Amino acid sequence: MLEYDILIVGAGGAGLYAALWASQNPKIKVGVMSKVYPVRSHTGAAEGGINAALANVAEDNPEKHAFDTVKGSDYLADQDAVEIMTRMAPEIIYDIEHRGVPFSRLPDGRIAQRPFGGASFPRTCYAADRTGLVILHTLYDQSLRQGVEFLNEWFLLNIIHNGERVLGVTALDIKNGEVHFIKAKAVIIATGGHARMYWNRTSNALGNTGDGTAAVLRAGLPLKDMEFVQFHPTGLRKTGILITEGARGEGGYLINKDGERFMKKYAPEKMELAPRDIVARSIEREILEGRGCGPEGDYICLDLRHLGEKKLMERLPQTVEHARVYEGVDPVKEPIPIRPTAHYSMGGIDTDKYGQTEIKGLYAAGEAACISVHGANRLGGNSLLDILVFGKIAAEHAAEYVTGVEHLPTDGSEYVKREEEFIKSLMDKEPKENLSQMRKEMGNIMASKVGIFREEGLMKEALNEIRELKERAKAGLAVVDKSKRFNLNLVQTLEFLNLLDLAEVTTLCAIERKESRGAHYRLDYPQRDDENFLKHSIVRRKEDGTLEHGWKEVVITKWQPQERKY
Amino acid sequence: MATAGKEILKGGFRMSQEKVVLKVYRYNPEVDEKPYYREYEVPTEGVQTLLDALFYIQENLDPTLSFRFFCRAAVCGSCAMKVNGISRLACKTPFKKLVERANGRPITVEPLNFLNTVKDLVVDHDKPFENLKKLQTWCEPKQPIPEKEYRVSPEEVKEYERPTNCILCFACYGSCEAVMDDPKYAGPFAFSRVYKYVLDSRVDEDHKRQMVKNAMEVGDIWSCVQCQKCIYVCPKGIRPAEDIQNVRGKAAEYGFKEYPGVKKVQHFVDWVYATGQINRLALPEEVYGVDPTPLINKFKERGAEVWEVPKPLPGLLEFRDLILEVMKEKKPHLDIDFHHVRRIDKKVEEIFKADVCTKVVEQFEEQREDFFSRFWKKISEFFGAR
Ligand SMILES: Cc1cc2nc3c(=O)[nH]c(=O)nc-3n(C[C@H](O)[C@H](O)[C@H](O)COP(=O)(O)OP(=O)(O)OC[C@H]3O[C@@H](n4cnc5c(N)ncnc54)[C@H](O)[C@@H]3O)c2cc1C
Ligand code: SF4
Ligand code: SF4
Ligand code: FES
Repeated sequence: MLEYDILIVGAGGAGLYAALWASQNPKIKVGVMSKVYPVRSHTGAAEGGINAALANVAEDNPEKHAFDTVKGSDYLADQDAVEIMTRMAPEIIYDIEHRGVPFSRLPDGRIAQRPFGGASFPRTCYAADRTGLVILHTLYDQSLRQGVEFLNEWFLLNIIHNGERVLGVTALDIKNGEVHFIKAKAVIIATGGHARMYWNRTSNALGNTGDGTAAVLRAGLPLKDMEFVQFHPTGLRKTGILITEGARGEGGYLINKDGERFMKKYAPEKMELAPRDIVARSIEREILEGRGCGPEGDYICLDLRHLGEKKLMERLPQTVEHARVYEGVDPVKEPIPIRPTAHYSMGGIDTDKYGQTEIKGLYAAGEAACISVHGANRLGGNSLLDILVFGKIAAEHAAEYVTGVEHLPTDGSEYVKREEEFIKSLMDKEPKENLSQMRKEMGNIMASKVGIFREEGLMKEALNEIRELKERAKAGLAVVDKSKRFNLNLVQTLEFLNLLDLAEVTTLCAIERKESRGAHYRLDYPQRDDENFLKHSIVRRKEDGTLEHGWKEVVITKWQPQERKY
Repeated sequence: MATAGKEILKGGFRMSQEKVVLKVYRYNPEVDEKPYYREYEVPTEGVQTLLDALFYIQENLDPTLSFRFFCRAAVCGSCAMKVNGISRLACKTPFKKLVERANGRPITVEPLNFLNTVKDLVVDHDKPFENLKKLQTWCEPKQPIPEKEYRVSPEEVKEYERPTNCILCFACYGSCEAVMDDPKYAGPFAFSRVYKYVLDSRVDEDHKRQMVKNAMEVGDIWSCVQCQKCIYVCPKGIRPAEDIQNVRGKAAEYGFKEYPGVKKVQHFVDWVYATGQINRLALPEEVYGVDPTPLINKFKERGAEVWEVPKPLPGLLEFRDLILEVMKEKKPHLDIDFHHVRRIDKKVEEIFKADVCTKVVEQFEEQREDFFSRFWKKISEFFGAR
């Protein structure tokens, strides 16, 4: 049986950085499990940058950074956690810089910083347009340096605890299909976000399916603020792949089927460069009101033709390539079909500011966790920061915890048996449903009814429909591939079941929050309502499988809620 | 502008029932005795990339097909495979182009070369990742570590921009001629990574030397035959073959003279300078310390004409000038060893005396005086310029 002092599940930025700090003490045995090789993790897709008040370009300090974050969060972030994050930001940047992250530089050799949405100063450190990639790869190289032990292509199934302490996890070794129990004194869940519940309406990787978050829900522990999902205004129509804000920054137009630059109705001054949520809502409104393009009127056009081929190739090569390869459209000659795309999961596993859950030894960090530093809306560049800061904090906390406790006695065989039986039941089922069809249905329900605009009636429909999908899955979604080795069909089915559980929670929370705040926009309650809803929503699953919804206070230290105006 | 929507609308209606055949490698080592191919019909419309085509198969025709993917946007490096014999990222390969080029023939999809098959298109990635660990490609920070950031010029960052873009997809590994012949060879990507860290001023000097040493001792960097295939297949525009030359150069610069590879380069540089070409007969001795006499004798026995020194060609002097110019400009990692060149020249002279190659020698004789005076002048210039 595999045994670790600290087992980290997830090898994106959060997981790897946690591993580096946890393995500082050679006496602590650290393992990192990931369903893909570490450098494949979604952190590698982040382009824009990472925030820290280094003040390299303009006067700045952590307090201003904290205020921008709190304001951006529409006052739902916990201010103590935000302050920790922004205060630690500079030291974290210096630390990863010392470890080799090749940041872009100012002429005098210091780290360059650029302005980013919602920030009052140029505060975003970056490495060209591949900041996430270089952070992920540098942390991976460093984990090789520190001899971190990896379980690559292992899939987390369940978290095992005894109601007080965590015992370990069960997991599937994808390469040979074997199920294992892994004993651990502490487990850090860093499995990333769950925006794939919008299926192909997301900028996220295909595997961002919230497996860890769903496992925590199954373990009877609370999830927080799950209704908050950030939509990015410009995703490609077919795949949701992100078209960077830069395309509008360089002068791209958004046009509807009448060829109208419709942003003039919604943000006459800033036009296409208005804040993300406003642009996303405007696009969605055009589509909903029948002014979308195409036979189904289900998208808007991003027109870059007037910029000319030369400028496009020089300034936006990535955008041109994405449009050509993934949409089959040449932006030099045709407008690019786009629509808003689910981009980031603000909600997640409920933790305190050290990443701890209710169960001793069980931690969460990164996009999987909700600490909460992003509240109702995350600022660009704050997520890469969040995953590092709280990855480190969780690791240090866990390291301290494990030195004071012994492993609990268990051989884990009963847990393994349970998983094997479950997998067998999936394979033995008579197949009546088609996985890809069901995934599409889920995505459509979520995008059309629990997406950018929300309203009670539609969301209640969505809740029923998601629950129906769950029933159908239970009755007839079978794993048709019976082989043990690299069984994609099995992995994708497990991922889908996780997404369904989280979609249900998201919908429920969205129904319960009868106000508009940050990314959560209700047509039937268009105002923010601090009196009743300046609270985190909390959901947990009871023994009988039903969901229990409640609220939790927001921590306010310095900044009283004000109207969020830009 | 008003037509924008309609243009796309037309595209949307262009539905067609045309299909293309994908011939896909299948192998589950657990149950199959040997690999086999299976053919699938995939519609040519509505499928953007090769990865989409594989999804089409998996979702509609055969859920047992295994392949890797994650980001579906060419950043994660999961989906490299062989398409009609060439390593590519499935998610970055436009399907339309493949179909056009196939022109009715099936499109063959196979796993990357040189890596064990886990199942179907999935190969073992452990080995190339372990190679990185063996080469120790990471930043060992230079002491003292500053309180804030190291100062690094934007120009420096630009120098290692290209290898920094690597996504470790191993497309290059699967195409590499050196890997084919030498399983110990660490792979093109690994040396690009070495080079990236060697260029980084924040990395400790001893560690840089260690990485270069590892590249030679553990990674067999001298096995690269400079076929340039890695450059051709890299989906991110990285040029490992060039990085490899540079790491080899670093080996020389760091004074790792005892390695055959470095000796070989020294041999090339000196002989090419001295005679305009390399000397295969001197190579075994100079590089590996092997006495070439038996070989030479054997040739002679068989009546072959043996040139212990290559025939100096007309225009050699201009050529030498040119080499010195270039070296002055490019400041390569390895200097010409002029003692060695003089020894070569002596041999050349001996041969002149023996009057072997009359014609060339005549020409050479004419320029002789001039040659040596200009030669030494250049040399002093060369060193003076340093
Ligand atoms: C296109 C795009 C651009 C972005 N740009 C920026 C930006 O510029 N700045 C910014 O701050 N943020 C950005 N973000 C957000 C940011 O990239 C992510 O929030 C962040 O990288 C998440 O990191 P993480 O470590 O929490 O998770 P991830 O990087 O998603 O890693 C999750 C890990 O968990 C593992 N895992 C998941 N499930 C399982 C399982 N069942 N079993 C085992 N392992 C599992 C995965 O293998 C992976 O290793 C962007 C996001 C997107 C989609
Ligand atoms: S060098 Fe290019 S082909 Fe090789 S692993 Fe890196 S990105 Fe892939
Ligand atoms: S140039 Fe060298 S590294 Fe590149 S493919 Fe050829 S042999 Fe391999
Ligand atoms: S799926 Fe990530 S590179 Fe192809």
